[in-house]
Amino acid sequence: MDVVFMGTNNTKIIIFCVLILLGMVLLGYGAFVHSADVLPQQQDGSAIVAKSEPALIKEASVGGVTRDESGKIKQTYTGAAPKECAT
Amino acid sequence: MVKKTKLGNLASKLVPWRIWVQASFLLVWLDPAGLRLHTMCAPVFHCYACPLSTFACPIGIIAQFSALHFLPLIAVGLLVVVGALFGSLVCGWACPFGLLQDLAAKVPTPRFDPPKVAGHLRYVMLIGTVLAIPYFFGEGHPLFVCRICPAGALEAAVPNIVGQAIAGSEVVWPNAVKLTILALFLIAIFFMRRPWCRLLCPLGAIFSLFNRISAFFLRFDAGECTQCERCHKLCKFGIEPEKSPNDLRCVRCLECTRCSPEALSLGSIFERTQSKTERAQ
Repeated sequence: MDVVFMGTNNTKIIIFCVLILLGMVLLGYGAFVHSADVLPQQQDGSAIVAKSEPALIKEASVGGVTRDESGKIKQTYTGAAPKECAT
Repeated sequence: MVKKTKLGNLASKLVPWRIWVQASFLLVWLDPAGLRLHTMCAPVFHCYACPLSTFACPIGIIAQFSALHFLPLIAVGLLVVVGALFGSLVCGWACPFGLLQDLAAKVPTPRFDPPKVAGHLRYVMLIGTVLAIPYFFGEGHPLFVCRICPAGALEAAVPNIVGQAIAGSEVVWPNAVKLTILALFLIAIFFMRRPWCRLLCPLGAIFSLFNRISAFFLRFDAGECTQCERCHKLCKFGIEPEKSPNDLRCVRCLECTRCSPEALSLGSIFERTQSKTERAQ
């Protein structure tokens, strides 16, 4: 591809490359590494589950997670996930 | 004159077909294949509680994660990448909520322009209802963005109410604030162009911050401009494109590129072009 960088564009190109790199790093880290421990709805001895960020996005989109008094992320349901967001 | 690039030419040809481009994108967001890919966000304003939504709403996810005190890296990363590439071109060409308002703008009613300063409300909305209120008060606060969002009311609450009524089950009504905002929005779209985008959209607020540095931008050639001010009339958002081609308020509908001297065109940072002024030097 014949990509020509003009002198007046150099700053814009550098900013663009930095932003794309930053965005891709955030996306990659979020998709493959970032996770959170999620407590079960009832403290009945169920195990704490580590959920990846994509899984948390899905949970948040149906109002399936909340933050409890202790600051931990907690499931709002047991069994089948809600079909829609509570708001 | 600026040597019009392939990109500029393509954009000029597409401008009259913008509504159809928006409609084509609508097919992507409305989940025709029933994929329900809610593990990923889309870079547009479309409620994930809508029965027809392919992806999650990035604003809803940022707000929900703010309430959870958990960094929304995927949503932020996506908005940074898309913003760095296109800026608010997404608002003008891909957003389904923008399309709805553009369709309402085709109804011949008198239109009013909000004062310029009102556009800053978007940033108040972003910082207040998307970041601060969820972070400090949680998702139960009445001013949490999803609780007052007209897109949520129209795309999720209304279909759900209709569905409940048809099924004969108990109808769960949204709160009064949400219904009031929805009613005001539905009135406003007939008397103001894109009222949500111009006054309150937090996603538009984010994309607008990239307008001056995005890879695709509105190029203005001062040497070609005849000061005819036709672009002022072409711009429906009260912007003077020759003074501020990449204004924060611009949704990049590219209508201004239809000015006859072709002083305005869509450009990209990867193109080699020389303006009349530059060539004269």
